[in-house]
Amino acid sequence: MTAVFVRESPVAPRVAPARALAPGERLRRWLLPTPAIGVVSVLLLAVLLVTGARFFDWAIVQAHWRGASSAACPGDGGACWSFVVARWKPWLVGNYPSDQLWRPLTCFAVFVLFWAWVVRRPHRASLLRVLQGFIAMPVAFFLILIGGGPLPVVVPTQWGGLLVTLVVTLATFATALPLGLCLALGRRSHWPVVRLLCGTFVEAMRAVPLLAVLFIAATLLPLFLPRDLAIGLFARAATAFALFNAAMAAEVFRGGLQAVGRGQIEAATTVGLGDFAALRLVVLPQALTAVVPAVVNIMIAVIKETTLLSVIGVSDLLGAIEIGAKSPDWVGEPNILTSGYVFLALAYLGVCYALSRYSRRLERAR
Amino acid sequence: MRAESVEPVALDASSRSDANVPIVRMSAINKWYGSYHALRDIDLRVASGERIVVCGPSGSGKSTLVRTINLLEPFEHGQLHVCGIDVDADDITRTARIAINRRVAMVFQQFNLFPHMTVLQNLTVGPIFGSGVNRSEARQRALHYLERVGLTDYADRHPAQLSGGQQQRVAIARALCTRPRLVLFDEPTAALDPEMVNEVLQTMETLAGEGMTMIVVTHEMGFARRVADRVVFMDQGQIIETAPPDRFFDAPQSARLRTFLGQVLSH
Repeated sequence: MTAVFVRESPVAPRVAPARALAPGERLRRWLLPTPAIGVVSVLLLAVLLVTGARFFDWAIVQAHWRGASSAACPGDGGACWSFVVARWKPWLVGNYPSDQLWRPLTCFAVFVLFWAWVVRRPHRASLLRVLQGFIAMPVAFFLILIGGGPLPVVVPTQWGGLLVTLVVTLATFATALPLGLCLALGRRSHWPVVRLLCGTFVEAMRAVPLLAVLFIAATLLPLFLPRDLAIGLFARAATAFALFNAAMAAEVFRGGLQAVGRGQIEAATTVGLGDFAALRLVVLPQALTAVVPAVVNIMIAVIKETTLLSVIGVSDLLGAIEIGAKSPDWVGEPNILTSGYVFLALAYLGVCYALSRYSRRLERAR
Repeated sequence: MRAESVEPVALDASSRSDANVPIVRMSAINKWYGSYHALRDIDLRVASGERIVVCGPSGSGKSTLVRTINLLEPFEHGQLHVCGIDVDADDITRTARIAINRRVAMVFQQFNLFPHMTVLQNLTVGPIFGSGVNRSEARQRALHYLERVGLTDYADRHPAQLSGGQQQRVAIARALCTRPRLVLFDEPTAALDPEMVNEVLQTMETLAGEGMTMIVVTHEMGFARRVADRVVFMDQGQIIETAPPDRFFDAPQSARLRTFLGQVLSH
């Protein structure tokens, strides 16, 4: 072999070779690359098939769909969807007055339209609009739902089901995220007292279970507040949610702020920006974009945490199902309550899975 | 490269008239990182219009020196005077830092362009939100300097779409957009691929030819020889030797400088 090499004719680019594998062979390689993995694959598939078939039998084949009381669901063999179908109103809105039903329905419709816009919006630059929407919606919904003026007042204790889940979730987003950002900024403050307070709050909240925070808010908080400032259970629960999740969000935002390099702040300084302008124009836009997926994770957690509200007596979707299964019409087979739980799980699965897919898309878009 | 584009820079009139008054005066400046004595008794005067090149082995404190001038690094002892602003080590305020940074610009080794903004926004954000220039004037200024660095076509791109050399030229244009009286360069070509070093050096030479006061930390000895009025050699946080380039390179006085020059010029 000679030490000198000079290419005389350049190599033109060629098309990559096509993968020529028979479909059967592809499936074999995918499923049973080695005998041991093949055995495991077959076993897992068998388990999946058996449980899937059992669930299908319970949920579809033997299920009861019609009827207005537990009499419609005799025996234990199949799901009792008639319980879910017949009590659609408590699931959706709780005890909201029937003649005012358009108000919660408007809220649901606005939310669905907003979400459709968020998912389909053409460019990431409108992220700020999305945030504004998430702040504005819960305020508007609360005003519409509680009424006043020309609208008859409906107190929050009459709200329930999915409506409570929606309002509490949105109210938590709208309060916890800005508060979390303030806490994260506070932990970076030059002022030691602010840094200490924010740090202590975040660490304390992160170390206490949410259920404990909720019970404290529900039972202990009224003892500390002045007697005439009797805020309702609903508001107390919403406050607890907001504070707890603000601590979670603060940690996420802190990570985002740390991800913005020191060089960026220095560059902002050297072009003459003051501290606040540097934060607003240079640091925050980059930090917030970086944490969008993590913030969506917090949102998913909040949606699922709302089921804890039923434990302190606010009738969210879970509460509505448990109350429904105790109502005289539906007392009977344990299957009825199970059907309600399965319905609840499917509803949450749908919402959270959609949200998590959306967050994946945002991650890829970066 | 861009000899035809040389035109009078709109320099601040005062920076030419009072050429005797130093634009930078560092008196007995000392700085520590923890217990490490990073700058030791630094005395340096830079007159308006002067081009200073600072060189020295890595860790000798040259970056720290220029970063002290615009107060990116605070110092523990000594007095600093920059563009008419006096700062004492015991009294480094935010106000002073902002005031100095409105008169002094900086070009970084890692460019530090704002990745979420277009090139044009990178150039206008300082004038608009820092010095209160109105938007249309800031835009005109930005386009003017973008033309000067030969990147007019890139105004609406994002920094990530540009090569390293182009990014650094944008960073130079961004520095000029604030109409500085002094530009600091902190190893502006050290992070560049070799084939992009020249475009940046030529942009800087054009700028030097127009009378801009510059303090440049660099290992580019050819640039120092061609452009500098004075070359400063630093080692272990001290200024070892300061001389015009011909004397600096051809008749170095100190042993340490001779060793250093032997190392950087031999290859």
